[in-house]
Amino acid sequence: MNMQTAITMTAAETALVDAYTAMIGELPGEGAVLSARDALLADLKRQGLPTRRVEAWHYTDLRALLRAVPAHDPSAFAQRVEPLVAGSSVLSVLNGKADVKTAPAGINLRSYAESLVEGVAAADLIERDTDDAIGRINGSFVRDGFEIEVPEGTVLEQPLELQLVQSAGQSHSRFPVTFGANSRATVIERHLSVGDAASLVTVVSDLILDDSAEITWIILQQQGASDSHLAQVNFDLGANAKLRLFIINAGGKLVRQEIHGVTTGEGADFQLRGINLLGGDTHTDVTFTLGHDVPNTTSKEVIRNVLFDRAKGVFQGQIRVAPDAQKTDAKMACNTLLLSDDADFSAKPELEIFADDVQCGHGATVIDINPTHLYYLRARGIPENKARAMLVNAFVDEIVEELEDEGLIETLETIISAWLEKHA
Amino acid sequence: MAAVQETIDQVALIDVDQYKYGFETTIEMDKAPKGLSEDIIRFISAKKDEPEWMLEWRLDAYRRWLTLEEPTWARVNYPKIDFNDIHYYAAPKSTPGPTSIDDVDPELLKVYEKLGIPLREQEILAGVEKPRIAVDAVFDSVSVVTTFKEELKKAGVIFMSISEAIREHPELVKKYLGTVVPTTDNYYATLNSAVFTDGSFVFVPKGVRCPMELSTYFRINEKGTGQFERTLIIAEDGAYVSYLEGCTAPQRDENQLHAAVVELVALDDAEIKYSTVQNWYPGDKEGKGGIYNFVTKRGDCRGKNSKISWTQVETGSAITWKYPSCILRGDGSRGEFYSIAVSNGHQQIDSGTKMIHLGKNTSSRIVSKGIAAGVSQNTYRGQVSTHRKAENARNFTQCDSLLIGDKCGAHTVPYIEARNSSAQFEHEATTSKISEDQLFYCLQRGIPTEAAIALIVNGFVKEVIQELPMEFAVEAQKLIGISLEGSVG
Amino acid sequence: MLEIRNLHARIAEDGTEIIRGLNLTVKAGEVAAIMGPNGSGKSTLSYILSGREDYEVTEGDILYNGESILELDPSERAAKGIFLAFQYPVEIPGVATMQFLKVAMNEQRKFRGEAELTTPDFIRRVKEASARLHINPDMLKRPLNVGFSGGEKKRAEILQMALLEPKLCVLDETDSGLDIDALKIVADGVNALRSPDRAVIVITHYQRLLEYIVPDTVHVLYKGQVIKSGDKSLALDLEANGYADIIGAAA
Repeated sequence: MNMQTAITMTAAETALVDAYTAMIGELPGEGAVLSARDALLADLKRQGLPTRRVEAWHYTDLRALLRAVPAHDPSAFAQRVEPLVAGSSVLSVLNGKADVKTAPAGINLRSYAESLVEGVAAADLIERDTDDAIGRINGSFVRDGFEIEVPEGTVLEQPLELQLVQSAGQSHSRFPVTFGANSRATVIERHLSVGDAASLVTVVSDLILDDSAEITWIILQQQGASDSHLAQVNFDLGANAKLRLFIINAGGKLVRQEIHGVTTGEGADFQLRGINLLGGDTHTDVTFTLGHDVPNTTSKEVIRNVLFDRAKGVFQGQIRVAPDAQKTDAKMACNTLLLSDDADFSAKPELEIFADDVQCGHGATVIDINPTHLYYLRARGIPENKARAMLVNAFVDEIVEELEDEGLIETLETIISAWLEKHA
Repeated sequence: MAAVQETIDQVALIDVDQYKYGFETTIEMDKAPKGLSEDIIRFISAKKDEPEWMLEWRLDAYRRWLTLEEPTWARVNYPKIDFNDIHYYAAPKSTPGPTSIDDVDPELLKVYEKLGIPLREQEILAGVEKPRIAVDAVFDSVSVVTTFKEELKKAGVIFMSISEAIREHPELVKKYLGTVVPTTDNYYATLNSAVFTDGSFVFVPKGVRCPMELSTYFRINEKGTGQFERTLIIAEDGAYVSYLEGCTAPQRDENQLHAAVVELVALDDAEIKYSTVQNWYPGDKEGKGGIYNFVTKRGDCRGKNSKISWTQVETGSAITWKYPSCILRGDGSRGEFYSIAVSNGHQQIDSGTKMIHLGKNTSSRIVSKGIAAGVSQNTYRGQVSTHRKAENARNFTQCDSLLIGDKCGAHTVPYIEARNSSAQFEHEATTSKISEDQLFYCLQRGIPTEAAIALIVNGFVKEVIQELPMEFAVEAQKLIGISLEGSVG
Repeated sequence: MLEIRNLHARIAEDGTEIIRGLNLTVKAGEVAAIMGPNGSGKSTLSYILSGREDYEVTEGDILYNGESILELDPSERAAKGIFLAFQYPVEIPGVATMQFLKVAMNEQRKFRGEAELTTPDFIRRVKEASARLHINPDMLKRPLNVGFSGGEKKRAEILQMALLEPKLCVLDETDSGLDIDALKIVADGVNALRSPDRAVIVITHYQRLLEYIVPDTVHVLYKGQVIKSGDKSLALDLEANGYADIIGAAA
């Protein structure tokens, strides 16, 4: 009903529309790319940002939460940092601009700005559905990123780090990545902020895994306490492809991380492990949908949330099983430790099942620290506050341990411990 | 496994041919003309001989309803309802209101006999073994008789139709009506507030344990009518009551609307147990006809340590849209929801509960068992939330779905909202089919496939069946068997 | 070393009284066995000694080396040398056993004003102690008690005891669920810790464990009181004749 009547635009909506007018002249791409951008912006203008009345945004009223949008700041300066894991190949995006020093051996690569200029990117700039606010904003404004192809049979021994460093303003990046059949790789998508200026970062990664590719994709989001971070990972899994997606949110003021996937080849397996470390005034939403579209595919998702201060956390997870997708095995768990009375957490784990020969389930818990565990540790002489910290750490470390790479585990555990020490 | 496939096929074929209650009765009716307007509301109110305040209350709701939009968020599909193509009032001419059993039209009594509902107190008394149950029989828009009224009165319990209560106990009705489900609550509740025709009223005073089960039996008979039932149950401090409702309707090609509102109020230490066996006509195998069951049921645990428990067995209706909920306002209060929802043929169910934790030390438990067969869609939708001040809220939710055949759908949509660090919520959901191992085990022990499926399904729903009053548990078990298996009972 | 005087205690949640005027003295160097039928309060006593908050002391006192410990929290009691080997050691997913041992040892040392262990020193100690108890080093890589068999859990408890070097060891039905070989290993572990400045309280149902850990004194607990005390022959007597006679005589 509110489609007919023109909406009154909020400050953020106005800022986005104004930013488009100001920036469109220098955003890469013409012709089809430009028309695609125009169409997305027109939708944004017409629909506005989603409110809680849009079911997909039920717990994250973007229209109310996105108060302001910082203007693009061409003079902002950011530098690449050391990779998370020594020896990784680093592809940086600094304040929205791709920066390649040396292309890693074995993969085909070009900046997404080139794809936009060339026009091939026009096909990417579409909305997933009418609720796809992230795709809409990112598609309107996307400036750079990387288009990556890991050729068939390629095995990357060292991780590939996509390093996004933001110092101010806004940046909108895309990463279409194709993993050829039987390829193996670990990719770290890392989001960092320098300085205290508020920024808006949007990122869309489109992953295609060909048959039997086995990929670990790690997202480590450590943006500043005043940043807005709107991100989307889309994936498509071919036959016997395996994708392990690890997401750690440990920063940002307004964070929405969407994950949307489909299994299109039999034998595909998807594993999601998520850790949300939420403190201060953050509002962090992880929204996940997975379509088991063909028979004999499996998935498991485990999300662990720890909340301090006035943090608000959201997990929405939807598993769909298509009518013929027999023998689907899908399990989803969302466990939350709520450690402050001013924090809150909402979960909506959904199952949508159209095939009968399946094993699907989900569990969701909101709990306090287990008093028996606490007592056991104290009975061994560990003081209460230390014992609590150990148990909170354990709650999330359990997830990290599943990454078999010792170096990576240690690095991530250090980051988590440091975060918990700061907020506990 | 061939045997399994055979059963699935067979289950898919069964539909309303199994609906035992599809007969129609010809009784001369007094009807309001089709359509909805302030005049129709005045007509209903006048028929019921209502006081002015009640009419005003209805008109307020009606004006509000005109500004509302029909909700679309539920996972159900149906053509737009023409609210002006419905009779909002239909009463048997011979028995236009509650009366004594001797004055009830014998044709009507035959209907209830056929449905197996005991209305003659002496007959009930004669059956010494059976526990006694007081019945309020609602036929289309009116209550035709309420049994055991006198005996209940001796215990201090008021059990009568809501129309009578409005006339005889206006102070109680005024005090509680619309306090749990306000007239502004939702599209159908607002409509109900404007046009409700009958339903039951129960008042159990302080400290009284209601001496028998109470029940209301709803029958939609007349063509082209909607049934708008309104039930209000109040248990004062320390009181206890167990109440059961049953529903049936004739087989018809048209869709009929049933939009009820049920309000429960439990004061300090009171307990209300509300059970439903809903068996409205579900439509035929093409999906034609059947009842649209759009119901708002809510209990208010207003007093400390009060308890409200909903148990429902849903086997009927073309579309079910219903979320019996508990507002856990009183400290230490407890809400329970036990549900079995069976869908077959083209049925669509979107049902579940809301547990709203407001008081301290409140607890809730949800056990939902959905069984989908045929080409039906069966959705559990539930909300568990805590208020920021609701310390030590506890919830346990178990929500299981069973699929029989690969043309149906089972869906689970829980909303879990924790706003206090002392909250402890546990939610589990599973979806599966009947395990071949279990089935094989039964077969190996000489149990035929159909019986084995009935056995396994009954095992699947046992936890909920146990919550029903004894005498209805057997009935419910049979009903589930019938809706899925036909010959297997 | 330990003196329990007229102790009364109840379950905090529902007020059920479990310990009803219990008196018990255990000297340094002594091994005391506490026996008694099910529900007599044996496990409750071990929890109360360790400071579990599910129980409330309503009367009486517990003196440890002459001072009351009732006001101390569980970790302070542990740091002062009171160790409870649990009947059912809890599984704590995510907490690595090695990490747990290191934190526990160092926190206790910190409390006593001792220097923290260096990592090599810590590892050496764990290796030596686990070798003595026939504990496979792989077990220590797993999260605490997670996936351990019953016997492994009990051995892990004794390992912790050996590493933490407590002064008062309380073994709560450490023999339950152990086969004879595991029982011998556990008993050897306990016997190795016997010393003139250390006391051990062995809570058990059966004489069997006492064949391996020979007690100096035996106390029969019934309805929250010690109704009879004696030397090791009392345990043999109970094994032969059951509790009925003693309970009858006390009543």
